[in-house]
Amino acid sequence: MSATGEQQTKHNAPCSNQDFDFFYSGLEGQQLLAQKCGGCGKLRNPPSPMCGDCGSLDWAAVKLSGKGSIYSYMVHYHPPLPGFDTPHPVVLVELEEGIRMLGGLRPEQRDAVAIGKAVDIEYIRRNDVALFQFALTGEAR
Amino acid sequence: MSDLGGKTAIAGIGATEFSKNSGRSELQLAVEAVSAALADAGIEPREVDGLVTFTMDNNIEVEVARGIGAGDLAFFSRPHYGGGGGSGGVLHAALAVAAGVSDVCVVYRAMNERSQYRFGQPMGGALPPTSEYTGLTYHGLHGVTTAAAYIALGMRRYMHETGATELDFANLAVNSRGFAATNPAAFFYGKPITVEDHLASRMIADPFRLLDCCQESDGAVAVVVVSAERAKSLKQKPAIIRAASQSAPAGQMNLTSYYRDNIAPYDEVAFSARQLYAMARMTPADISMANIYDHFAPTILPSLEGLGFCARGEAKDFIKGGTIGIDGRLPLNTNGGQVGEAYIHGMNGIAEAVRQIRGTAVNQVKDVANIIVTSGSAVPTSGLILGAA
Ligand SMILES: [Zn+2]
Repeated sequence: MSATGEQQTKHNAPCSNQDFDFFYSGLEGQQLLAQKCGGCGKLRNPPSPMCGDCGSLDWAAVKLSGKGSIYSYMVHYHPPLPGFDTPHPVVLVELEEGIRMLGGLRPEQRDAVAIGKAVDIEYIRRNDVALFQFALTGEAR
Repeated sequence: MSDLGGKTAIAGIGATEFSKNSGRSELQLAVEAVSAALADAGIEPREVDGLVTFTMDNNIEVEVARGIGAGDLAFFSRPHYGGGGGSGGVLHAALAVAAGVSDVCVVYRAMNERSQYRFGQPMGGALPPTSEYTGLTYHGLHGVTTAAAYIALGMRRYMHETGATELDFANLAVNSRGFAATNPAAFFYGKPITVEDHLASRMIADPFRLLDCCQESDGAVAVVVVSAERAKSLKQKPAIIRAASQSAPAGQMNLTSYYRDNIAPYDEVAFSARQLYAMARMTPADISMANIYDHFAPTILPSLEGLGFCARGEAKDFIKGGTIGIDGRLPLNTNGGQVGEAYIHGMNGIAEAVRQIRGTAVNQVKDVANIIVTSGSAVPTSGLILGAA
């Protein structure tokens, strides 16, 4: 996959464009993707058309493990959001690959959320959009 | 460093009442506040040749100009990022005046953010897929859609790194409501709160409770910027603009700076402080008091550190023992802040600084020399140092 030209899977994510389509398309195939710079090889997130380190416009989408540890979190209480249970936990995860990724946490694990805990990815659909959430590993399910 | 510092001044301030339902249009609020600021300065509306607001305000300059009976407009601009832009508006006005592009430039902000729409509600709906919104949506799809939610993630990490607790948050909430309780213009006038009230208030976006948050507000504030020379001969004691900044340090994102080393709302404030102290040729020791932007009061902690009043992680101790009270080392948000007075995107904090320099504030601090004012953190921000002539 590259920045331009190649065919991509359709996705239903709102407010996307050529910079973000690869990411949401990847989730349709249950793949968490990030851009790997074609110039210097650095991974980056969130998506951006140019590498801020070397200036290259060339990149490829690579699959991430979805495993990491919680760097920070919040729990949303108010107001209720369509498609979400309330309260809804969200985690910022330091992935094994060395980049951070934001995602929901499995709602039943809300009370166990803590910085430093290990998580793994789960693929979900919400409001008919292919998404993902994280789940604490080694916790009661 | 720029020699802008000291060349311009705020010569007039004006405001409407702050409410949950103004009962009139945003444009009417704007022209009322702008006219009041000009009358305060003793300047005829016909002399206005510059108008500045910031994005999220919906009042176009030419309609404000038509309403107040302004002269020919030679300068108009709108710094971006909403509440991050308030002090930036004053920077733009000061630049225009110092450069001779404008002689009388009014900065205004007028919104019905409670009665006309719900400003604090989740961002969503049919947003255009531009760089303004693609990144917010990328995070918002996971349920981070309000300003409180976005900033909560940074503040949770801040708590983890510094040991700050909700009790420290409560201390800030109580300090601001204490000032608001004696300010007739404030939502919390006559309504001080206790630490227990704070801890019992409902969770909004953990770790933020209701009493950590400002409230959607209807209202307007305007300030008149002229040259420091001109200000000398006007009605009011001038508030000299010693320094003004716009500040988006490397790695800054709009509400989602989750990918830099320090994800707390700190880097942008620290950068602003470096700019301001350099332009004003001052250090924190020269600052008498501070009006620090408090969309969410707990963010004052990293701001105090970024502004250099204490070391990283020490703000929770710095604020104890009366330091930020009216007789303390650094009286803080003496109008009640935005959590206590009203959420006017920090323009009310600028107006309060002007009153303090004039000696006309309801909670007047003794011997005010210089005041540092910040605009919204966690977004590209801006700041001011205002001082007596
Ligand atoms: Zn590169």
